[in-house]
Amino acid sequence: MKKLCLGIESTAHTFSVGILDFEGTTYSLINDVFIPEEGGLHPGLVREQHLNNFMKIINRALSNAKISIKDIDLIAFSQSPGLGPVLKIGAWVARMLSQLIDIPIVGVNHCIAHVEIGRLKCNINDPLALYVSGGNTIVSAFESERYQIFGETLDLAIGNMIDSFARDAGLQHPGGPKIEKLALESKNYIPLPYVVKGMDLSFSGLYTAAKYLLQSNDYGKKYNLNDIAYSLQETAFGMLTEVTERALAHTEKKEVLLTGGVAANKRLQSMIEYISKEHNARFEVVPLKYAGDNGAMIGWTGLLRYQAEGGHNISETIIKPKERMDQITIPWRS
Amino acid sequence: MKKEKIIRKGAEASLYYGFWFGKEVIFKYRIPKKYRIEELDKKIRTERTLNEARALIKVKKYGINVPQVFEIDSVNSTIVMKYIPGNKLKDILSDLDDNLKKKYFNEIGRMIATLHRNGHIHGDITTSNIIVTPEKEIFLIDFGLHEYSDTIEDKSVDLHLFKRVLISSHGKVYKFCFKAFLEGYKLKYEKGEDRKYDEIIKNIEAIESRGRYIKSEDRI
Repeated sequence: MKKLCLGIESTAHTFSVGILDFEGTTYSLINDVFIPEEGGLHPGLVREQHLNNFMKIINRALSNAKISIKDIDLIAFSQSPGLGPVLKIGAWVARMLSQLIDIPIVGVNHCIAHVEIGRLKCNINDPLALYVSGGNTIVSAFESERYQIFGETLDLAIGNMIDSFARDAGLQHPGGPKIEKLALESKNYIPLPYVVKGMDLSFSGLYTAAKYLLQSNDYGKKYNLNDIAYSLQETAFGMLTEVTERALAHTEKKEVLLTGGVAANKRLQSMIEYISKEHNARFEVVPLKYAGDNGAMIGWTGLLRYQAEGGHNISETIIKPKERMDQITIPWRS
Repeated sequence: MKKEKIIRKGAEASLYYGFWFGKEVIFKYRIPKKYRIEELDKKIRTERTLNEARALIKVKKYGINVPQVFEIDSVNSTIVMKYIPGNKLKDILSDLDDNLKKKYFNEIGRMIATLHRNGHIHGDITTSNIIVTPEKEIFLIDFGLHEYSDTIEDKSVDLHLFKRVLISSHGKVYKFCFKAFLEGYKLKYEKGEDRKYDEIIKNIEAIESRGRYIKSEDRI
């Protein structure tokens, strides 16, 4: 039997378990997603759900892969970055399993995992990555032993910004797909703040301006929600595409990877694909199943690190809620 | 007026080498970006063309080496400016000895300090936007993201972005170069304005510690 790795993702609203072999074939992938009844992600409530469900998720992942926990050879877990109380659950479960069945454990940076799963699933080698999700907005590429950050948001993450606006507009979480759908119904552009600083971005002013449009007396008269959704997407994605193109011209990479939950947005895909073509770079978007937070990407990245330099000691598995992806050297690519 | 050949296709603009009333010039043409809707695209290109041309003209009077502007065509989002021969600092940095690196980054620090003291933010200081001529003169280009501001915050962000470019693109020499840069920058902030310098530098740390950024000392 092939050697197997079990990866646990637990940084935010998704608790996910992926089982894959050491060549990267996925045997099972089970997600449990916290959906708030109102408001955003309250860390305490998210933690409660993950604490209640983790064993069910692990058992389902094992039975889908038709294996027992004893067949697992390596445990990988999301060690950083994310919500502290939620990260702790993943770390705690991983430590327990590692000691229970006496197998190595390895901690993984969640952002790096989003890039690595893209490299694996899209079969690309050295991409410029645009990683867009609820918690992160990063333009990154591999340079001098690390995944360097060329551009990033200075305040809100793109997914968070869109979800927050959707919530203000009375749409239920997650708002991204709903905003994408509404935007298709409009061609009426309302000017909104477009803020690019070098290769960095700021979405806070854009969010506030869009929120004010909802509160204005003109709302429902001169424009409707479709128009704001359209304008919000066009502005935000225009900014994202501009900084990605800047980074692409600067790094001269020949591959572009779109990854993270917001990568599922078709409008963003078409914009990034356009600039990739302009710079003769191959464009790939991570398959939908692996776009959002998932245990398979954690398992795969854990495998890469384990094979390059072994596992972590338990004392090294402490969570790092604020760790940046460019703080970590990447031995498997050096 | 004649465009001879394209010399650089950047992210935002294409640069053509050519002649304008017998002078060697660069035509900087901001290309329409079809990924953006036309309305937004037109607005951004026109704004940035005018903004850059105005900035180039204004900062020249402080004695900063920037290309001379000859003509502005906002309809076609094109600026005609003096041709500056030389290399991008990005391309030659790894070949420089320590003395030259120190000299150049000192000089760049002084230039940026002069901009900042006069209320100008470059907005996109990168090693691709700095030209080194065969006479070893430093020229600052690409003022498309230039802003007028006299706040500590905007100046700190300007420096922070440059620091990040040095880390990500020139990781091995970043410390040496950024130190030389700050020495030059500080030099221009002397004469009773020391405190402002300290505030700007301190605020870079504040920006770095805002959630997504960790303190530089914690960097492995």
